[in-house]
Amino acid sequence: MTGRATEDVIASLAAEASPVRPLAPPLSRAGRLLLVLGLLSVATIILLGDLDGMATRYAGRESMMMAETGAMLATAILAFCGAFALSVPGGSRAWLAAPLPAFLLWIGLSGAGCYDLMLRRGLGGWGAVGDGDCVLFLLGASAAVGVPVLWLLSRARPLEPLAVATLGGLGVAATAAALLQFFHPYAVTLIDLAFHLLAVLIIVAVAALLRRLALRPA
Amino acid sequence: MISPRFRLVPHFGRAPFQVTANRRETELANDGDRDWEALLAAAQGGDGEAYRAFLRAILPYARAVARRRLGDESQIEDVVQDALLTLHRVRHTYQPGRPVRPWLAAIVNRRAIDAARRRGRIGTREVSDDLALETFADPEANSIEAAEASETLSRMMTGLTPKQKEALELVKLKEMSLAEASAASGQSVGSLKVNVHRAIRRLRRGLDRDAAE
Repeated sequence: MTGRATEDVIASLAAEASPVRPLAPPLSRAGRLLLVLGLLSVATIILLGDLDGMATRYAGRESMMMAETGAMLATAILAFCGAFALSVPGGSRAWLAAPLPAFLLWIGLSGAGCYDLMLRRGLGGWGAVGDGDCVLFLLGASAAVGVPVLWLLSRARPLEPLAVATLGGLGVAATAAALLQFFHPYAVTLIDLAFHLLAVLIIVAVAALLRRLALRPA
Repeated sequence: MISPRFRLVPHFGRAPFQVTANRRETELANDGDRDWEALLAAAQGGDGEAYRAFLRAILPYARAVARRRLGDESQIEDVVQDALLTLHRVRHTYQPGRPVRPWLAAIVNRRAIDAARRRGRIGTREVSDDLALETFADPEANSIEAAEASETLSRMMTGLTPKQKEALELVKLKEMSLAEASAASGQSVGSLKVNVHRAIRRLRRGLDRDAAE
């Protein structure tokens, strides 16, 4: 195509210059999302959470529980911030690595908790205790959180939908995992943890697969 | 309001024109950036003229970014146009007051990467058929072929007798009726038929011989 054709493109675009409302800065949008999610999560935990069960489960290991939940929340916060930052042109790709340390800490602390359980219970601390409810909880909570998150991300028409969807999916999975802490009635064994990780992978993969449909990339 | 492109800033204790070249370039670039920011912000408000001016002003920069990424001159204009269309779709993601260049460069770079990937995919899945291009698509190639055929025919015509050549030209090339050809050449209708038949037979033999060689 030629410079003449470029002039034609410019003329047609200028003719379609309808007013648009600039999006707020990405981190500001992420902050608002986290605030709303936080308020809704606290309300859900107070109304429906199994706080007594959690206190029993983490008796004597409160600091471990707080560190584990903190790592999940840090993963969610950094992943959401990264997704919003990368959804607009010019966002730093360093955001792709930002949630990684928190994610590794989350997995490491969860693994350490399972190992500790195995030491205390012997073989009983190895096999699956749950009946799949936790995986269903993770998937259900992720769907509830993920739909509005993907809609918010899609407003920017991201140029790199895969990166945005992957980070958004990780944020959603981490949020669901943090919520699960308050609804899980029993200690997590190694097999349970494997199922949790599988659920996280499924959530991230679904978000990545739905990227074109959900994010409407430009 | 668009700021003037050239603006001399007063410098105390120093004449305005003693600004170093680099500093002046930086100042001009900054002025240009401020123009872009103002134009794009106005475009977001629906000002079509500001939008047109903005899109025209960024073209050299967009081409430079695409050129740096691709290196293939033939693709640059396509990528720039693609980037302009993308810019239109995401113009609401620009935050007024922020630098335009990183935002714009990200858009052009993205479209250049897409173009390079597309070219890579086409390169691995499709094969260029140069012969097809020469035979059917390129008029010059076809005219060379036609010229060669004409040369062959002329060479073969020299092997015909004058009466055979005359009969062939009048009846087959000029498409005269036998009566017209007879009147034009003075040959009888029967002679014309015989001479045309013999001329064609001789040409056919010549073509067969050429093909065998």
